[in-house]
Amino acid sequence: MTAIRVTWAREVKAFRGAFSCGVPVAAFLAACGWTFVMVLRRNEGSVLQIQSVWGLSVAPWLPILSAVLTMRLFAEERSTGMIDLLMSAPIRERDLVIGKFLSAMTVMAVTLALSLIVPTLVLPALSLPMQGTARAVAFAATFFILLLQASTWCAAGTMISVLFRNQAAAAVSSVVLCSGIPIVVYVAILTWIPSVRAEVAWMPLLVHVYDFSTGLFSTAVIALYGVTTVFFLFGCSKLLACLRLRG
Amino acid sequence: MLEVDHITFSYGPRRVLDDVTFDVAPGEIVALMGPNGAGKTTLLKVLACLLMQDLGRVRLDAVDPLLRPIKYRREIGYLSEHCPLYSEMTVEAYLTYRVRLKGERSMRVRRRVSEALELCGLTEVANSRVLLLSHGYRKRVGLADALIMHPKLLLLDDLLAGLDVGQRRKTAAVMAAASSRAAVVVSGHEVHEMLDWCTRFVVLNRGRLTAMYRASDYNRDQLARMLEQQMMPGADGETSP
Repeated sequence: MTAIRVTWAREVKAFRGAFSCGVPVAAFLAACGWTFVMVLRRNEGSVLQIQSVWGLSVAPWLPILSAVLTMRLFAEERSTGMIDLLMSAPIRERDLVIGKFLSAMTVMAVTLALSLIVPTLVLPALSLPMQGTARAVAFAATFFILLLQASTWCAAGTMISVLFRNQAAAAVSSVVLCSGIPIVVYVAILTWIPSVRAEVAWMPLLVHVYDFSTGLFSTAVIALYGVTTVFFLFGCSKLLACLRLRG
Repeated sequence: MLEVDHITFSYGPRRVLDDVTFDVAPGEIVALMGPNGAGKTTLLKVLACLLMQDLGRVRLDAVDPLLRPIKYRREIGYLSEHCPLYSEMTVEAYLTYRVRLKGERSMRVRRRVSEALELCGLTEVANSRVLLLSHGYRKRVGLADALIMHPKLLLLDDLLAGLDVGQRRKTAAVMAAASSRAAVVVSGHEVHEMLDWCTRFVVLNRGRLTAMYRASDYNRDQLARMLEQQMMPGADGETSP
């Protein structure tokens, strides 16, 4: 536990001062604001709850933010040579991985909380009156599913960053894995089997966000994100151990 | 104390270490010498658990790093060739982080850090950012990190490279102090400086152990000449008893 805590604390400090954190977070918030407006305009006249609009405007940008935040976690250590000092210390690879992953998740959680500002800024700016009241529980449920998705993307990004010394290459690979591949598969399915278009009008990843934001919880979805997160973290610690085989 | 037993290691088809065998007793300072590409850094990386050998066995006080890696790594201090550090941290913050990472109890952290700062002559730069330090000071921070937990085995890669005369003298003093409670394996090319404080010289060439000299068995000039001859690329040598 000590190694996890110490690694987490150092990484959070490193994030606080890193150019690779402040700029991407600001860009993420701006992108969320833009998407929020687009979703509102496209659904004009329909009934859509405000937390759903927020969730749907944040979710598409999560893989990109995760890729940028996690790219430096191991790639930087490998390029500077610090990985040698970390690997010769009396700590388990999994503690190192978990500490770094949790630091990225801390930044993600703070950023997601900050993105709640988007509805409060955009709605008055567009002079859109809200009907009814926004419930905190509904926002909490949306926050929860976004955090679950973020954990999967962060775990994947952490694993990919072990494979590279170059941070940009790690980020691009991570975006391709977390965002590119799901989109390509979705488009391919719609192209090859047009009959399912009615059933899967939205990408399943967005459907999960919409379902949770409307109170439709699913343990299968929670398990899916939990298992994939653990899988990527396990893969990450094994890849790190494999570095000992050939440096 | 440290037993290196028939170690063989290859990068793909290229054999970098070939059947290397030697041992190190407590209090000994063993110099790993040899021309560039002889396998010194690779051997130190194997000893530091950063690379896994293809064949052979390493044991430190009967602890095999492949079987009990955490226990083994708790007993070693490693200084990397390029001495990487976290540039944004101050020297004191960096050493505090390293001590905590190595699992020291909170109440002892400050004492460990101040001991290491004093031993390596870093007290005056304790609050300076690592980014602003010269190469020599960075090396001393790396050395402080290696020494900080009082390891049984110190592995120092190219310790003297890039240090000026004064810093080499100070480093020699630190080594003498460290060897009172640890075995030291240090690599380098600086024959004359290392003759002052190393007790044994292991010469590698093309991954093979080509010679081993005990400093006490030879006079200084004779040993310097033999080592310089051995360190020529392609030279072969003998092993002293």
